[in-house]
Amino acid sequence: MADTTPLLEVRNLTVEFRTEHGIARAVDNISFDVGFGEALGVVGESGCGKSVTALAILGLIPSPPGRIAAGSIKLNGRELVGLPESKLRKIRGSEISMIFQEPMTALNPVFTVGNQMSDVLRRHKGLSRKQAREDAAELLRLVGIPDPKQRLREYPHELSGGMRQRVMIAMAVSCSPKLLIADEPTTALDVTTQAQVLEEINLLREKLGTAVLFITHDLGVIAELCDRAIVMYCGMIVEEAPIEPLYDRPRHPYTEGLLASIPRIRDRKLKRLPTIAGMVPDLLQLPDGCRFADRCEKATGRCQLEIPTLEGARKRKVACFHPVNG
Amino acid sequence: MEVLRFAIKKLIGGIPLLLGVTFISFLLMVYYGPDKTYELLGKNPTTEQIAEIRHELGYDKPFLVRYGDYLKEIVTLDFGYSDSTGERVNRILKRTIPISMAMVTPGFVLGNLIGVILALTAAHFRGRWMDKLIMGGSVVGMSISLLIVVIAFQIIFSSSYGLDLFPVRGWEVYNVTSYIQYVTVPTLVFIFVSLGYNTRFYRAVIVEEMERDHVRTARAFGTPPAKLLYKNILKNSMIPIITRIMFSIPLVIISGSLVIETYFGIPGVGKVTYDAITTGDQPILKAVVGLTAILFVLTLMATDIMYKMVDPRVSLK
Amino acid sequence: MSVAGETLAGAGDLTLRKTRESLWSKARYKFRHDVWGMVALGIVLVYFVIALGVWLGIWGQGWSAVGGEKWGSMSAEYWFGTNIIGQDVYDRAIYSIKTAFEIGLVVAVLSTVMGAVLGAIAGFFQGSWTDEVILWLMGVLDSIPFYLFVAAVAFALGGYAYSMHLAMIAVFWTITARLVRGEVIKLKNFEFVEAAHAIGVPHFLIIFRHIMPNTLHILLVQSTIVFVAAIKTEVILSFLGLGVKDGVSWGLMIAESTQEVLAGHFNNFVAASVLMFGLVMAFNMFADSLQDALDPKKVS
Ligand SMILES: Nc1ncnc2c1ncn2[C@@H]1O[C@H](COP(=O)(O)OP(=O)(O)OP(=O)(O)O)[C@@H](O)[C@H]1O
Ligand SMILES: [Mg+2]
Repeated sequence: MADTTPLLEVRNLTVEFRTEHGIARAVDNISFDVGFGEALGVVGESGCGKSVTALAILGLIPSPPGRIAAGSIKLNGRELVGLPESKLRKIRGSEISMIFQEPMTALNPVFTVGNQMSDVLRRHKGLSRKQAREDAAELLRLVGIPDPKQRLREYPHELSGGMRQRVMIAMAVSCSPKLLIADEPTTALDVTTQAQVLEEINLLREKLGTAVLFITHDLGVIAELCDRAIVMYCGMIVEEAPIEPLYDRPRHPYTEGLLASIPRIRDRKLKRLPTIAGMVPDLLQLPDGCRFADRCEKATGRCQLEIPTLEGARKRKVACFHPVNG
Repeated sequence: MEVLRFAIKKLIGGIPLLLGVTFISFLLMVYYGPDKTYELLGKNPTTEQIAEIRHELGYDKPFLVRYGDYLKEIVTLDFGYSDSTGERVNRILKRTIPISMAMVTPGFVLGNLIGVILALTAAHFRGRWMDKLIMGGSVVGMSISLLIVVIAFQIIFSSSYGLDLFPVRGWEVYNVTSYIQYVTVPTLVFIFVSLGYNTRFYRAVIVEEMERDHVRTARAFGTPPAKLLYKNILKNSMIPIITRIMFSIPLVIISGSLVIETYFGIPGVGKVTYDAITTGDQPILKAVVGLTAILFVLTLMATDIMYKMVDPRVSLK
Repeated sequence: MSVAGETLAGAGDLTLRKTRESLWSKARYKFRHDVWGMVALGIVLVYFVIALGVWLGIWGQGWSAVGGEKWGSMSAEYWFGTNIIGQDVYDRAIYSIKTAFEIGLVVAVLSTVMGAVLGAIAGFFQGSWTDEVILWLMGVLDSIPFYLFVAAVAFALGGYAYSMHLAMIAVFWTITARLVRGEVIKLKNFEFVEAAHAIGVPHFLIIFRHIMPNTLHILLVQSTIVFVAAIKTEVILSFLGLGVKDGVSWGLMIAESTQEVLAGHFNNFVAASVLMFGLVMAFNMFADSLQDALDPKKVS
């Protein structure tokens, strides 16, 4: 395969938050790529920095207290870090768009669905009010919402959770973005609705050729939807691999632990990652060495002192001194 | 239709409140209030004269009957005659309420409007020096007593020790120029006194709204900051803003104008009320309390209807 | 059942006590690092020491003596001049600090206690007729024009010196009560309260031993707010002739000054307003910092 430039190129990204007790590094020196039309999964326990990574890509880290302390984010070769707000605004919702976890609160309760959708269309595509409404109706039909004309006139609270999330998805793809970030889009939905929404995202990806950065707790979803995945732990990437090898022969003890504690991967009821003994270290009191060392059976003296770097072949990387399944 | 049914329901629901307010006020102001018997009698009155006066004033009737009479006055909106001037209470009110409205409206409106604008500005620059400046100013404004502001503004704007631009006191309004002449200083006082409180309140409301998920969504879809503030955030903050504005109306009209009108010698309803307090003019006090209570119930009702207008989630059930 | 319930109540109470302790220790930490808050507290303490001095008879005692000339200017004897009948403005302004603290403390403490008790009862028996009655009473008190209410109380009590205080307490407790009621409604659904019910702890014990301590932070913040409101209200009431009866206060001084400022005598006005502004401003800032430290919901 020819070595083309990827759609999204994240290099050495570091995001810090100033808190009362010191600086918390929520994302620490991470690098990864997303190719055109590719679906990349991001897994990890709660608080490991998944959402912060997503917000950093859109330039939406709340500041103060947060900031991108270092690193580069390139979309199609164009640097996004340090780009002025006005330029970033043109990218948000048109070239990169994002679906959020909470469909109940992510839409504005006091405006109709149509109003919010045509707002985006008019801003990024310069459509007329009427044209925007027609396009919005078309988009709703595309994501499988019956009677779209009527839905446009309704307020978010009149829709079910699944419907709202579909509206979010329709809004997100309305300007044909090159990259769609989905931050746990199904966590708040019930099992059947989850499946339908995932199906919808998958169909759209095939139809529109949009690349997807899919953030989730649910390993089963990743297996179904993604080509490749990265595993995050405590602000760092500990493993990166295509889906099949990741599941068959995980190399990082953390990934192995995650997989081992799932009885059946395809059991979609799993909403939270299964627990591994021990605690995630506090972002303010990080150990000197590997952050997983305290919970790892294989840890040695070296693990306590030195941070392993992410190494390996181009598509199969692990950050561990004692990788398993080697 | 739905609105009408709701309004009627609210009005009926307001009856206990109305009864409570009038009962407590009646008990304190009339029953335990000043006894006017001897003021109206000559020297060395006979027992018959005393009894006659007490009968005229209604003092000899049982408590509940007198309270019932008061309720009847409220229902018929007929409050009899002033004790001190003998003028019909309704006529006095008809003359003075418009003056008070003309006096407080500009300051009330501007105080809230400027408050919202400052709050939006502060929220927009949240955490930066502009925010700190505005909020620091608010605390200073909140710390200065109304009476000090009144006196200071009178010195600054209306005396020979200051700019000497406006009349010191009074209300001789017959056209727009004279209106502006007399209304300016009270308006400035009103704005100054309410601005600190308003700005702080509105900023807290707006900042809280700024942290909601839907604002993050709007930003993730490229909404520019100005539009974010006036469309996405302001409309969502309308419920607390309306609540504050509506509920300050009855209080502002009576309490606020009482001090300002008394000080500037403006013959509005506040001044009349103050005079009634000092002379114990019960018919006027009874009318003011009764009307304020009614105003409160109407405000409660109007506020709920306005909620419905700004927030589709509110139902009038 | 009873043993299990007791342990559960104990355990739940313990965890809640732990969160409560951490709330207070966090607040102490936060407040100590709040420079403006500490400065404000310092100023309030200076005022308080002056008030104590007046109370103990160390200074400010010459407030009522008529010695100087009419509207005398500043001099070594009369640091801030004299008023219309030759009283020492400086002493009067200093004495007024004591008056202000008296009013502020009496009104703040009593209205907070009243609000806490009635609010807790209303919240605990939420939806019952007790709750309805308390809510109705709060609505009624909030709808009576305040100055009329004070005047009425003053008349009804026949010129009693503390009628102003009583009137303020009777009105100011409603805000505290509403806040406490809301908090108690939240707290009463905690497991430890349910467990206490299960083992038959009497209601009033549950309210006052288990629930009320968890509303202390609200009460503290609220009482600072009421303190400021009381001092500011006194000024208006004294101007309207409904305020302080014995002694002197900033309100009386400012009311007095309304007769003189247009004639160019500013001593009374300046002395009273500057001192009052200093105290109210410091107290406002202190209240703010306290709220920052204690109220997790406060947005900054
Ligand atoms: N605004 C903020 N201020 C301070 N710290 C923050 C802020 N936002 C995030 N963090 C910190 O960054 C870390 C990563 O948070 P993030 O939201 O990315 O986690 P996550 O992986 O998305 O978890 P979840 O699965 O629960 O959504 C957390 O430890 C959090 O404390
Ligand atoms: Mg997240």
